Amino acid sequence: MTCEEFKRVLPELGSGHGIEQEEHLRSCCACSDLIADLNAISQEARLLQSSEDPSPWVWNSIEVTLRQEGLIRQPQFEHSRPPAPALGWRLRWLVPLAATLLIVFGALIYQKGTGQPQIAQQPSPAAGVVTADLQPAEVMAGEDLQLLKTVSERTPSMRDTYEADLRSVNAYIRDARQSAESNPNDEVAQQYLRSAYEQKAMVYEMALDRSLP
Amino acid sequence: MQRATSYAVVTILVLAALAAAETTRQEMHFKVGRRASVSIVNQYGAISIKPGPGKVVAVTAILYSGKVEIDHSKSRRRVSVSSHLLEGATAETGRVDYEVLVPSDASVTLHSTTGPLHVEKLRGDMMLEGTTASVDVRDVNSGHIHIKTLDGPVTLTNVSDGHVEITSVGGDVALNAVNGSVVHVNSGSGKIHYDGDFGDAGDYSLTSHSGDIEAIAPAYASIEVIARSVQGTVEKDFPLQPEHTSFVPRAGSAFAGTMGEAGSSVKLLSFSGKIHLKKR
Repeated sequence: MTCEEFKRVLPELGSGHGIEQEEHLRSCCACSDLIADLNAISQEARLLQSSEDPSPWVWNSIEVTLRQEGLIRQPQFEHSRPPAPALGWRLRWLVPLAATLLIVFGALIYQKGTGQPQIAQQPSPAAGVVTADLQPAEVMAGEDLQLLKTVSERTPSMRDTYEADLRSVNAYIRDARQSAESNPNDEVAQQYLRSAYEQKAMVYEMALDRSLP
Repeated sequence: MQRATSYAVVTILVLAALAAAETTRQEMHFKVGRRASVSIVNQYGAISIKPGPGKVVAVTAILYSGKVEIDHSKSRRRVSVSSHLLEGATAETGRVDYEVLVPSDASVTLHSTTGPLHVEKLRGDMMLEGTTASVDVRDVNSGHIHIKTLDGPVTLTNVSDGHVEITSVGGDVALNAVNGSVVHVNSGSGKIHYDGDFGDAGDYSLTSHSGDIEAIAPAYASIEVIARSVQGTVEKDFPLQPEHTSFVPRAGSAFAGTMGEAGSSVKLLSFSGKIHLKKR
């Protein structure tokens, strides 16, 4: 079994692994490290006290990503939400965790090569057509706007920088996603997507880093 | 005329004296064990790290106003120093410039918004993070080098046997004489420039969204190279031995092949930028 094959069946694996997967894990450091990381994340998540609700950032990020992937739809009626509380310092570690999960999630989805049916609601451009440069004023997603609001409150002078970078990264994700959807078996196309998500995770991580303004 | 000149000189001297009076110099020394870990967090201003004598971390900080103070903590092998902005501090009044001497085997972690960040002649791991800060690393041997910037340019010079990972959204990345087991650059709109021999057994991946990629290598380089751009053009100055790939090489937008003994793997991938593999 190759790494690619292992990653392909990874989402379907439960707590146990088959003989073939076990053999691969014994011989492959990269995949065994991946499993160890996922187990560590899972164990950390269980340690969360139920009274400590994760930050709205986490839920928003996951929700927006799921919506972008077409896995959930926009609700018919918008319910008013209570104002988002300030990010508690004890929960800030969830932000990079959520970003990591988003990367893993995005990578796994496209490595499986099953993206087409899930984005059927979106108008699909012709293969290879890239729209990033044609949509400079694209509306930003909710969690991006929230991030910019946080940056504005902490360091107004950095807001424009973060906004420009978010737009740039979103354009990268959009281009990479289209390329991956057009070429689901192309490993390089998947790498573009992973790189784009890594950049977005980094922007979030830096914007919410407590040590920097 | 002579009197006017005299007034001007006196005025300049007075202004210079006033400016100097507003800066404060602080020095701190910490004894540490071997392979110490040093962390500097500085919102506004430069951080420069160089190797110093003995097992001592020597920190010199120039504070530009009373709106910022220095916090520090120390354990046997760890030193942590951070600028603490007080109420009303701005990028100007909160500025602190650090010059730090560390044992050459120390690991360093640097954070700054504006930078610049500079590290030289170390052997330990380093993690450098800056928003708009420029990052300059030179004469480094072994160790992990992880760099993240939003728009700050990154320059690495004379890095051998490194494990290099650089991510930047908009900053240009320049690698001069850099080799190691892993050299990965993930850039958005910034250009990537590599000038070196790609070592003999490394994994090199230079990836960008719209930034151009230029790699300059000598004729004796030993590489297995893949270059692809979805929208941009690719060119090479070298004749390559063809090899089997998972994609169809297309003239002008992709090529693949080997040179020499194909010791290192080199991937040059851009979405819409130009890629050029040049002969030195």
